[in-house]
Amino acid sequence: MTRFKTPADIAKLRKKIVSQRNSKPTWLAVCAGTGCRAYGAVILAESLEHEVDKRNVGDKIGVRRTGCHGFCQRGPVIVVEPSGACYLGTQPKNVPDIIDNVLSGKGDVEHLTYLDEQNGKRLSLLEEIPFYKYQKRIVLANNPLIDASEILDYIAVGGYAALVKALTKMTPDSVLQEIKDANLRGRGGGGFPAGRKWETTRNAHGEPKYVIVNADEGDPGAYMDRSLLEGNPHGVLEGLIIGAYAIGATEGFIYVRQEYPLARMHTVKALDQAREYGLLGKNILGSDLSFDVTIHRGAGAFVSGESSALMSAIEGHVGEPRPKYIHTSEKGIYGKPSCLNNVETWANVPHIINKGAKWFCSMGTKGSKGTKIFSLVGKVKNTGLVEVPMGISLRDIIFKIGGGVPNDKKFKAVQTGGPSGGVIPEPLLDLPVDFDELTKVGSMMGSGGMIVMDEDTCMVDAARYYTNFLAHESCGKCVPCREGTRQMLKILDNIASGWGQEGDIELLEELSEFMETASLCALGQSAPFPVRSTIKYFRDEYDQHIREKCCPAAVCSALIAYEIDQEKCVKCGACERNCPVNAINKSEDKVFTIVQEKCIKCGACFTACPKKFSAVIKVRAHSIPKQPAGAGALLKQ
Amino acid sequence: MDVTKEEADGQSKVSPINIVIIDGDESFAASCSKTLEKGGYRVTAAKDGQQGLKLLDTAGPAVVLLDPKMAGMDVPEVLRRLSETQPSIVPIVITGQGTVNSAVESMKAGAFDFLSKQVKPEKLLDTVRRAVSLSALRKEAKETGKAVSELRRQPSDKYDLLLQGLDVLGEAYSLGLEKRQLLDELAYLESEAKHHAESLGQIKKKERAILDIRNDLLAVDAMLKKYDFQKSSLIQVLLDVQEHFRWLPRHVLNWIAGRLNIPLREIYIVANFYEAFSLEPRGRHTVQVCTGTACYLRGASELLIRASALLGIQPGQTDIKQSFTLETVHCLGCCALAPVVQIDTQYYHDPSRSKLEKVVKSLEKEEALA
Repeated sequence: MTRFKTPADIAKLRKKIVSQRNSKPTWLAVCAGTGCRAYGAVILAESLEHEVDKRNVGDKIGVRRTGCHGFCQRGPVIVVEPSGACYLGTQPKNVPDIIDNVLSGKGDVEHLTYLDEQNGKRLSLLEEIPFYKYQKRIVLANNPLIDASEILDYIAVGGYAALVKALTKMTPDSVLQEIKDANLRGRGGGGFPAGRKWETTRNAHGEPKYVIVNADEGDPGAYMDRSLLEGNPHGVLEGLIIGAYAIGATEGFIYVRQEYPLARMHTVKALDQAREYGLLGKNILGSDLSFDVTIHRGAGAFVSGESSALMSAIEGHVGEPRPKYIHTSEKGIYGKPSCLNNVETWANVPHIINKGAKWFCSMGTKGSKGTKIFSLVGKVKNTGLVEVPMGISLRDIIFKIGGGVPNDKKFKAVQTGGPSGGVIPEPLLDLPVDFDELTKVGSMMGSGGMIVMDEDTCMVDAARYYTNFLAHESCGKCVPCREGTRQMLKILDNIASGWGQEGDIELLEELSEFMETASLCALGQSAPFPVRSTIKYFRDEYDQHIREKCCPAAVCSALIAYEIDQEKCVKCGACERNCPVNAINKSEDKVFTIVQEKCIKCGACFTACPKKFSAVIKVRAHSIPKQPAGAGALLKQ
Repeated sequence: MDVTKEEADGQSKVSPINIVIIDGDESFAASCSKTLEKGGYRVTAAKDGQQGLKLLDTAGPAVVLLDPKMAGMDVPEVLRRLSETQPSIVPIVITGQGTVNSAVESMKAGAFDFLSKQVKPEKLLDTVRRAVSLSALRKEAKETGKAVSELRRQPSDKYDLLLQGLDVLGEAYSLGLEKRQLLDELAYLESEAKHHAESLGQIKKKERAILDIRNDLLAVDAMLKKYDFQKSSLIQVLLDVQEHFRWLPRHVLNWIAGRLNIPLREIYIVANFYEAFSLEPRGRHTVQVCTGTACYLRGASELLIRASALLGIQPGQTDIKQSFTLETVHCLGCCALAPVVQIDTQYYHDPSRSKLEKVVKSLEKEEALA
């Protein structure tokens, strides 16, 4: 292994690796992201390797463990190169078939390919599958092509070419100009133009300057950053090094959540390899640039994703935001100029440098350029990571790519922007995905969580869920956020328990306005968004909870009861076996009934009852317990 | 001669103790016998040495009173013979014209005491009683000595203690202490020995604990070294500590405070703030129920209630045996599997109560085997 001394060294090595890679006619790319691992992708990869060894065909077939391919719903996913065939839900028992077909050249293993439910046709090629067809994968494109723990793989697909270009053909100023021209906006939530941030840091006084990757992806239901770090850490690192060059930074940090062990492992390995090859350290590729990166593990606090809180955490303190009279770009870590960007933002940089700002601007809308990765989850057929060009409509994402809502349920709303975002109802689905458009309707782009809700989702409950999350995660530094979220939660708890009163909604609205205006950081300012937007679009649901003590989606447990429909019941006893509190009574002639006094409404019987019978049903609660004295919101006197 | 009536009442079942007087002075022997008989002893008197020596063999006395001035007998010689052949017969020398020289000589030869013939009856009785006790003890020692010598082959604290006690006893007798007191003394010594054994055990325990702590702190030092003892590495160090110990023990935090020069208060603020840290020991297995939005919408709360009811603990708690900790996490990133629970490293998609029970049981079994 040699240290790259000149940019030409990389090109030379790339040539060599590519020819090595091409010596094997077929590659099987097994997705080994966290999602597919949960389905047993590691065992699958092992049995593929074992089978190849057993048949002694290592010169014909290579097995590669790659990062997330995106189609998590149907994992483990295998992509065959170069044919482009895509196998879904593959199990170790399918391994001999796959190898057989590759060796004999028979084509694809049909029963593992995608089945189009509408016309019953099998679609074998990845690009044909609707989930992939409507996407535009740029940042995620390399994920299936490389083994994340191998720098050579990244170099083989053109990695670090952008760094070479920046260092040899561009000045720091021209790199900065390119990013500004591309109008790359922060992918972490706010959508602040990255170029402007870079420029402020570059022009700020103070040495050293820092660049930081924010991978503290705290939004529940979002995992784009993790997949990028897991699947292509060098892509992010290359962006960071280019950023350091443009800004004049000498030190970098990657702040990774503790909950992402695999992402951390791959990142640590990537840093080590980059150091070995001389892509980090002194005089990178023989240039004047000296730069190194430290990895910092987050310890589990949502607020640490906020820029000033994150910097405080890197310094070893409690991650609390500070008022930003002065931007962190001017005074960040240890009071030095610090430029913080999200993982996805950094990952976009090499592509912009390689292909130019003009190309980047050819995608997207007027204010939002390029692509955006969303994690499409919730009540949607095709759960997974999708990368789409800005400006695509929400409807296209959810129905064309996501395949719509499963089990013939009706679509109700989509929640974007994580706990700080809001819900968007059906009539607004034709809205283009764009930073400004989403903010206009009371939601936000956020980091890219997109959670689909169907008719079985209660909006009061959803608002309560987010508010509970925010109340728990509020760092407690400023009163509006700390107390505001707590009071909101109390009011929502009351409404969900059937103790809602007239005026509660107005009180929530009043609180929202106050929190938005007075909170210290963006997290507090956006904390009332879920409540605000659900009230805005689903006020009638709140009214039903308060006036009729009824939860139309049958979710709020205080307002429902479980019963057994005797006509549907086949007396299998599954409900009785699964009840944790023995609340199911079995009479002598095997008639099962639920003893309401004992029932804790855990839903175990509902889950246990086989779907084909569905004999356990949800009904309106027979009675609502009285509100204990003093349980009301403190604000009301 | 017979035992007096009053004594017979009290000691009817015990055969009286024999005492032999060898003295030519008949009047003294008679008065002496009287005094001793009153004290409950059976007294046999001999007028000369030969008769006396015979009596020692036949009567089997506990104590013999000797007058060294008596004709036909070399008293020091008799005393030596007695101590060699019949150590259980305790000799007391009693003489009309006591001199220091003769007293010393007789004591050297093994006499228990040296009395003058003008001795008061109380003093005589007292001396004889002590001599009798010693005799009994010597007999006892002879018998147990046999047993002990056998047991000695397997050395054990208890028998060592017993032998030590006997040594002490013998020593104490020559000091003129009573047997009863000695038994008390022995019991006291025994309890003392036990007490010390306990203390020793505690000291050893403490020693082990200190060793454990030392090893803990050495491990922590290794972690600190990784980060070059930088103040800013506090969170990283705590994460390593949490991973290593499954919680943040106080002595470790104290140590870190000293090493990084950060006030302990500050460390506790950080430890309380971040979710990853626990100030109580966590279980060996972790059951993490994902409460991310996608899981929540697909029924995570029901799953959480199921897990909580099965394990008998609330989220955030650890069971008494410290085998399981139930936790909620905000997102495991397996949204396609929602609702999902992660038990150690394994993911389960919406497991039923019986499925959960099976997993928990198998983990418990594994642990029992290990």
